[in-house]
Amino acid sequence: MNDYTVVVENLEKRFGAFVAVDRVSFRIERGEVFGFLGPNGAGKSTTIRMLCGILTPSGGSGTVAGFDIRTQPELVKTQIGYMSQKFSLYQDLTVEENIDFYGGIYRIPPEKRRQRKEWVIEMAGLTEHRRRPTSILSGGWKQRLALGCAILHEPPVVFLDEPTSGVDPISRRRFWDLIYEMSDRGVTVFVTTHYMDEAEYCNRLGLIYRGELIALGTPHELKSETPRSDGTLPSLEEVFVSRIEARDRVEQPEREVRR
Amino acid sequence: MFERVKHMLIKEFIQVFRDPRMRVVIFLIPCVQVMIIGYAVSTDVKHVRTAVYDLDNSRPSREVTARFVRSGYFDVTERIGDDARARELLDRGEVSAVLHFQHGFAEDIHAGRTARLQVLIDGTDSNTAGIVAGYAVKIATAYSKHVLIERVERAFGPAGKTGTIKLQTRAWFNENLESRNFFVPGVLMIVVALSTLLLTSMAVVREKEIGTIEQIMVTPITPAEFILGKTVPFALIGLAQAIIVALLGVFWFEVPIRGSVFLLLLATLLFLMNMLGTGLLISTFSQTQQQAMMTTFLLFFPAMLLSGFAFPIANMPQVVQWITLVNPLRYFLVIVRSIFLKGVGLEILWAQMLPLFAMGIAMLWLAVRRFHKTL
Amino acid sequence: MNPRRVRAVARKEFLHVVRDPLSLLMALATPVLLLTLFGFALTLDVDNVPLAVWDQSNTPRSRELVGRFDGSPYFSLRMNVDNYRDLVHAIDSGQAMMGLVVPSDFAEKIEAGRNAPVQLIVDGSDSNTAMIAIGYAGVVAEIYALDLTIEQNQRRGGPSLNIPLDVRPRVWFNEELESRNFIIPGLIAVIMMVIAAMLTSLTVAREWERGTMEQLISTPVKPGELILGKLAPYFVIGMCDVLLAVLMAEFVFHVPLRGNVALLFGMSAVFLVGALAMGMTVSIVTRSQLLSCQVAVVATFLPAFLLSGFIFTIANMPPVIRAITYIVPARYFVAILKGIYLKGVGLEILGAQAALLAVYAAVMVTLARISLKKKLT
Repeated sequence: MNDYTVVVENLEKRFGAFVAVDRVSFRIERGEVFGFLGPNGAGKSTTIRMLCGILTPSGGSGTVAGFDIRTQPELVKTQIGYMSQKFSLYQDLTVEENIDFYGGIYRIPPEKRRQRKEWVIEMAGLTEHRRRPTSILSGGWKQRLALGCAILHEPPVVFLDEPTSGVDPISRRRFWDLIYEMSDRGVTVFVTTHYMDEAEYCNRLGLIYRGELIALGTPHELKSETPRSDGTLPSLEEVFVSRIEARDRVEQPEREVRR
Repeated sequence: MFERVKHMLIKEFIQVFRDPRMRVVIFLIPCVQVMIIGYAVSTDVKHVRTAVYDLDNSRPSREVTARFVRSGYFDVTERIGDDARARELLDRGEVSAVLHFQHGFAEDIHAGRTARLQVLIDGTDSNTAGIVAGYAVKIATAYSKHVLIERVERAFGPAGKTGTIKLQTRAWFNENLESRNFFVPGVLMIVVALSTLLLTSMAVVREKEIGTIEQIMVTPITPAEFILGKTVPFALIGLAQAIIVALLGVFWFEVPIRGSVFLLLLATLLFLMNMLGTGLLISTFSQTQQQAMMTTFLLFFPAMLLSGFAFPIANMPQVVQWITLVNPLRYFLVIVRSIFLKGVGLEILWAQMLPLFAMGIAMLWLAVRRFHKTL
Repeated sequence: MNPRRVRAVARKEFLHVVRDPLSLLMALATPVLLLTLFGFALTLDVDNVPLAVWDQSNTPRSRELVGRFDGSPYFSLRMNVDNYRDLVHAIDSGQAMMGLVVPSDFAEKIEAGRNAPVQLIVDGSDSNTAMIAIGYAGVVAEIYALDLTIEQNQRRGGPSLNIPLDVRPRVWFNEELESRNFIIPGLIAVIMMVIAAMLTSLTVAREWERGTMEQLISTPVKPGELILGKLAPYFVIGMCDVLLAVLMAEFVFHVPLRGNVALLFGMSAVFLVGALAMGMTVSIVTRSQLLSCQVAVVATFLPAFLLSGFIFTIANMPPVIRAITYIVPARYFVAILKGIYLKGVGLEILGAQAALLAVYAAVMVTLARISLKKKLT
């Protein structure tokens, strides 16, 4: 069954003459964990922002959970959870106040809200700190709380923009457990990352470079496409480095010749 | 709609009032302003420190001096004997006026010639100087009239009685011409305007600056809900401040409130629409709190000066008077003063309420339009 | 104190200023805008007070009296009414500020040699203008009475009379009684106070809010160096503002500058240091931009405007408030500016004011230095 929750067709975003995202197309199935990789400034965050409906695309089309990101951004917003790479909860509010605030903004019914709040507090391990301002929390706690607030309303699609940067390995591990739990419950997870070990956990991967999607497939597929000279499968890191170098050669052949 | 706005309100209130110092500031500012203005602001010119430089030292010169003192406007603090001392006293600002009688003053008067009195006035404050000069002319003219009537009556006897006019002055609305009755209602306008403008413009920009606005943008909240959530708390704070100022004015300074309190509240709400709209508009143009604060000030300062708070609009050049027609502070100030002192109602104040309402709607509409929800 | 570190902080702060052209523009445009406004638009002079007349007498005599009012530059006749209700409405609605009621027996009483009362009703809500207008009305009435006496005497064939006393007010320092001549020097002080506090009141609070302060205090930079470095660029901007203001006063408004120009700039520099350091102290203590700006406004704008002697004469204030004005630096600066501009006096007379201004600056810099702690809360 073709059950795609995120469909993107020739998506494009220009800022003046600069093309941040260049005709990107992909589809993501329901319950899939989709990893979106690429060096800094490649267009990852811009893509996510367009998918979340807070940035209007310059060209192409896309749907998230069946809603058009161009014409129905407000409806898209009811179907998604978003966690930005920067901690964007209120530092001067306590853990509970932040959760209550987003519970109200997402209009979760009161009965359900209490239950979700307890779930978030427990999931984030903040039972003892529920009345503390979030400014004093450590990175791992902040990150789990931010995720909790983003999925408070149990959205079918979740966008996580570099959720684990600056977090210790144990917290990262726990965080990925949460991602799998969501995926098991049929939630589509769109995650960007720098870490190659995290990329291995994803069902499918997209590699974006200078605004263009230069690779798409499961980790295994990507590795098989560029086997090492001795026939063994390369690591993901090797795959990506070679893909990016290949791309550079296409764009700047003359430099290659001179070398 | 209501649910989301409610949670925005709760959040804003927690943020504003979490810092105990902010609580103090918000409620102390109006009190401090009323107190300072209630006590400090007095434009009455009385007891002008005066030096007498009397070279004639005759009965008429002493009588004229006595008339100056009796008027209550002049206090003689020093008698001096030379020009240099007069110069020095004025330079140091120790006296503001010098009465200078030349030799032969009495002789002129007795001979029926015109005697001359020179009054030196410190002009560094032209307002006071003008008033002092006016007093001097009035006192001198009254003396002249007195001398002439005496002379005429001496010539003709009782038949020479001269008819004269007597001015019976009555000040309405502010019988004792108390400056504070004029200025304290104005403070209400200033307090409400300044704090709501600053709070609104900075509160929105703060979310931009810290980055929390991004997380709000991806929720299904509508711009209207966000704006309501960002303005209603500050409207309530502004209203609370207005009430504090009004109470202090009425009960502490005994400023009369002769008109309808309800009408005052209604006008305050109309005025708040203007201030909140402007604050939001500023926030859409600013990226940092510093920019928001400076823009607010750059707008507020001239708006206040052109509101009629301290400088009467009627005396401004015509072009500037036209400009004041788009100044919401001007309308609100007229309303506040009229309700406090004149006790007039909607039958006269509609002419102020209407533009206030129209501009309020326009400002809010502009703010909402510019308030793009997309980044 | 290490000059290299001070320079590094100053350079960084300067870059912040330059990279934010909007704020920089506003810092420079505000004084120009305000001076223009004040210079051209604002005046405390009272003239053309709108007058409504109810002339019940309607005789040549009464019309002459009304003519005297209308003919003086202080009053301008806006309307004639013929009943009390219209008079009340004219004053209630602000169309007229003064109402002159001449009773029907006015002329008869004058001719009979009796006192003829005339009623003057004033809208007292603006007590200042009302008081001045009443004063003018008194002058107009007295002169009219004087002329009546002379006229009646002549009609009876009495000897020709001279006016016994002629008063010549001579205004020193500001001969034409230009209110702009005294407003502009005072305004320079108020503007400088506000701008200075605005410039610095957010600098430290912003660094705390953004978290960059944490990085700064982990370096060996000393609090004194940090404060000096942060003050430097704003001092430069502030002095540019002073220069702009002085140039405008000279070439646009032709306010006479009778004293020493070097002294003017020297005193401005002292004042500026104090005001900037005060803003910075507020910023350091509050650590929050929203709070800091509210405090700065109350601590600078209001006192500078109300308690400096700029508009409201300090001598008329009650003793408690007068005592408070001694801690308002703008008070000294206003006195100094008026002294230099209009009186042309120097330190021999302004010495005490200058010394107090310097003390204020020193106290504020010290306060900033003490309150800046290189510790997280």
